Amino acid sequence: MRFSLDEYFVVELARAVGDAEVTFHGFASPCATVAMHVAKRSHAPSALLIEGAMYAVNPYPDFIPPTSNDHALKQGAVYSMRFEEAFDMSVRGEVDNMFLSGVQIDRYGNTNVTAIGGMPTPKVKMGGGGGGCNISATIERLTLWTTNHRPGRCLVDKCDFITDIGHRTPEGTRAELGYPGSGPQILITELGVFDFPDGEARLRKLFPDVAVDTVKESTGFDFPIASDLGVVEAPSRRQIELVRQVDPLGVRRREFRPADLQRSFHL
Amino acid sequence: MGVHLGADKQTDLETAAGLVQPGSMVALGGGLSARLPMALVRQLIRDGIGDLHVVGSAHSIDVDLLVAAGSISVCEESYVGYEQDHGLAPAFRRAAQEGSIEVRESCCDTVLTQLRAAEMGLPFLPVHGVKGTGIESLHPEYRRVTCPFTGQIFVAVPPLAPDVALIHAPLGDRSGNLHLEQPYVLDERFATASAMVIATVDRIASTDEVQAAGIVIPFYRVAAIAEVPFGAHPSSCYPGYAYDRNHIGEWVESAATPSGAEDYLSRYVTGTDEAGYRSLLGAQRLERLGSYTESTAAWMEMFT
Repeated sequence: MRFSLDEYFVVELARAVGDAEVTFHGFASPCATVAMHVAKRSHAPSALLIEGAMYAVNPYPDFIPPTSNDHALKQGAVYSMRFEEAFDMSVRGEVDNMFLSGVQIDRYGNTNVTAIGGMPTPKVKMGGGGGGCNISATIERLTLWTTNHRPGRCLVDKCDFITDIGHRTPEGTRAELGYPGSGPQILITELGVFDFPDGEARLRKLFPDVAVDTVKESTGFDFPIASDLGVVEAPSRRQIELVRQVDPLGVRRREFRPADLQRSFHL
Repeated sequence: MGVHLGADKQTDLETAAGLVQPGSMVALGGGLSARLPMALVRQLIRDGIGDLHVVGSAHSIDVDLLVAAGSISVCEESYVGYEQDHGLAPAFRRAAQEGSIEVRESCCDTVLTQLRAAEMGLPFLPVHGVKGTGIESLHPEYRRVTCPFTGQIFVAVPPLAPDVALIHAPLGDRSGNLHLEQPYVLDERFATASAMVIATVDRIASTDEVQAAGIVIPFYRVAAIAEVPFGAHPSSCYPGYAYDRNHIGEWVESAATPSGAEDYLSRYVTGTDEAGYRSLLGAQRLERLGSYTESTAAWMEMFT
């Protein structure tokens, strides 16, 4: 069975969803949206899913639309939260896992989705952070992802602007800032997976067609490499089928460059 | 925070939009691609209104059109864009980069907290995060406070009391009772925290019918209500219609250049009224947006 990088990537994201946990994704997050439903339909049937911009609890959508504030995403939901309920639950510390991406991500897992070149004079103004600026402080685990791990791009020495909190800002560590959540635990890119054992990114796994040197060339900071550096575990046939079932429109693919969509693997 | 009595507040779109003063702080209802107050946005542009300070959570074409028309001076939304659907908001991005608008980017939860402070009549409330982020630096009005009980330092935010909230709903009555489908996003909070709500609805119905559907925003928050079919177009207003993905695509493509944005505005906004807007789109196209209920395949078709 052949499968493509986007399917592989989403399955690895899905592994971040624990069973019997509360998990949340924001808007503009196709890969995370698909991953949450793949997890719920496989290894995490008891997970409590909170759907991005619909605030729908445990929906079972027939497909994922390319915009997240759409009723298609609340099909089959047992309950629809109010906006207030979802945010209160997040900042109170009742959400175990949240998926978060960034146009820039630094070694501490801080993310910038506000502006390349910083504010108030941005070189490129991006959309903005939604609710991440508060809930990145309190959610127990942040699962970061990017599909733009290329030289001079996402993984930078220093974010031009910190929208969402990682493990440490220039003002101090999470503990010093008084933030209760544990911060980013993993960062999944189209090249591999980092963890944050001491609050700093460490290369933990590679996709099988990627060399360590490629990761080094594509990363704007030096990083340690785990002594047991491994390969991202291949998805099962069932997981691949689930990705296709959850996302028949292929919205996950919108996050990838055409060249990466050509990367293909065999099971 | 305004109470608006009166049994009949139904008026036309032009009169309703005319209640918004230049320089106002305006809360935009709905969010992203859903239930945006687009007819009101278009009317404000026709009126040539300027110097608005818009506040809200995650928005898209509503803010983008207002920016393109030069109506906004301060943007205090948490996000403006089209997700991975159509990407960055071209007019908003251009104006932010040129410095022709001030982007006071906020966070959904901060906006919520500030609205709650206004609703509760409190001078401030603390938020959990923000401290140490770039967002804090964009808001000189925020302060740091020490919790008198634990000694912990929080960012304190002042109340946010918009002059007006623009809200579109599928159903309402003449007195201003509004029924919305979830998610309500911040609309309930906007309704209480703002001095007045100006509403458009796809259809005016009897109070009995709105009550049966469920009143989400009560009449006494609403200063004026106008019936504008497809008043949220090109965003969705379920259960009536899904969003018009191709039309949003047409805007994003046009707005890639300032002259393209102007062409769009003169064709769809300033050169016509709402009836003309619907004619330009065509009955068939608008009807199709309601056909999502026919089958999953029909619904998926909306997104291709």
